[in-house]
Amino acid sequence: MKTITRATLAATVGLGFAIGVSAGPVEDQAAFQKYFENRFPNTPTADCANGVYSILPEARAQWESIEEFPPYELAIENGEKLYHSKFANGKSLADCFGPEGAVRGQYPFWDKDRGMVITMERAVNECREANGEKGYGWKKGKIADVTAYMSFNSRGQKVDVKIPSDDPRALAAYEEGKEHFYTKRGQLNFACADCHLLTAGNLYRADTTSPGFGHATSWPVFRSKWQSMGTLHRRFAGCHNNIRANPYKAQGLEYSNLEYFVPYMSNGLDFNGPAARK
Amino acid sequence: MVKGLIVGTLTAAVSFGAFAGASNVSSSKLIKEATAAYKQVAKDTSYQWTVSVNSIKEAQAAFDKGKYTQAEALAREALELVDATRTQAKIEAETWQMRVPK
Repeated sequence: MKTITRATLAATVGLGFAIGVSAGPVEDQAAFQKYFENRFPNTPTADCANGVYSILPEARAQWESIEEFPPYELAIENGEKLYHSKFANGKSLADCFGPEGAVRGQYPFWDKDRGMVITMERAVNECREANGEKGYGWKKGKIADVTAYMSFNSRGQKVDVKIPSDDPRALAAYEEGKEHFYTKRGQLNFACADCHLLTAGNLYRADTTSPGFGHATSWPVFRSKWQSMGTLHRRFAGCHNNIRANPYKAQGLEYSNLEYFVPYMSNGLDFNGPAARK
Repeated sequence: MVKGLIVGTLTAAVSFGAFAGASNVSSSKLIKEATAAYKQVAKDTSYQWTVSVNSIKEAQAAFDKGKYTQAEALAREALELVDATRTQAKIEAETWQMRVPK
């Protein structure tokens, strides 16, 4: 078994399609987006925000009918209530993020003072904690509902993740996220890039893998598989479980840096969450 | 052909012997070894496979039931999985950039 596993691992070394030295974020983004333009030439760029439905006409019709009575509607309603609920000190999330929480386009961002990536979920919980409340769990439930409401009110804002050039720690965080995306892990020996770049649009059993360009625009999502709402980090963990790799902690360093890299690749697209996905 | 059969029989006997000799002490030692190796690879590489810890848990469960031969086999499997994890980390550290479009 060990020999087979080693042979499999060694064989994958030869599967890389482009050997080159590391480029900067701007070059990475251009090459990434160009790759998908070439791979799916009939897909309008803006439509890439719709994930797998941008490349799968058969599934798109079904998805569009689901979106007529979206399964995330209740989450938005609940999120609205939570958003405006008063904390014990009389304040609410609206005191941190404005009357409608339409701030999706500001996240994730690099916090120079703290030297870390701040996601919208982290910002929500930090607002609660700063006002004497407990933070929500990171993957589902109230955090997904509140961010569903905030994302809904932010629809149409552009993905515009910035890597400040005057802070090398930001570039390091981006590079860590990038390495994570392209690195194979787990017993099944998969990288994020294997499914969502190299073989995006191919079938894995009965499911087509979504293009990486457009990832992270639509979160949180209602997944049919979950039958509930979930955050992006819930999805990261699910992917890692699928490939038999131990998932990292939601909102920990690894996933936060991955969330810095992934949407940066989709800069220029519209945020369109929340959404329904398989 | 006879020679081949003898060699095959001897090999099988040796392999069987390795497990047939499983005991409370030897299987416990192997489980501890596998657990330590699993923790070490996590420290060294930040890679962990879910199946490694599953094998260790199953080995411990077999041990608790007094099934020492099974416990040893599972602990050995866990050690091999940990070894493969380390190999993966080593290869990936050197090759992940090959997948980056340019």
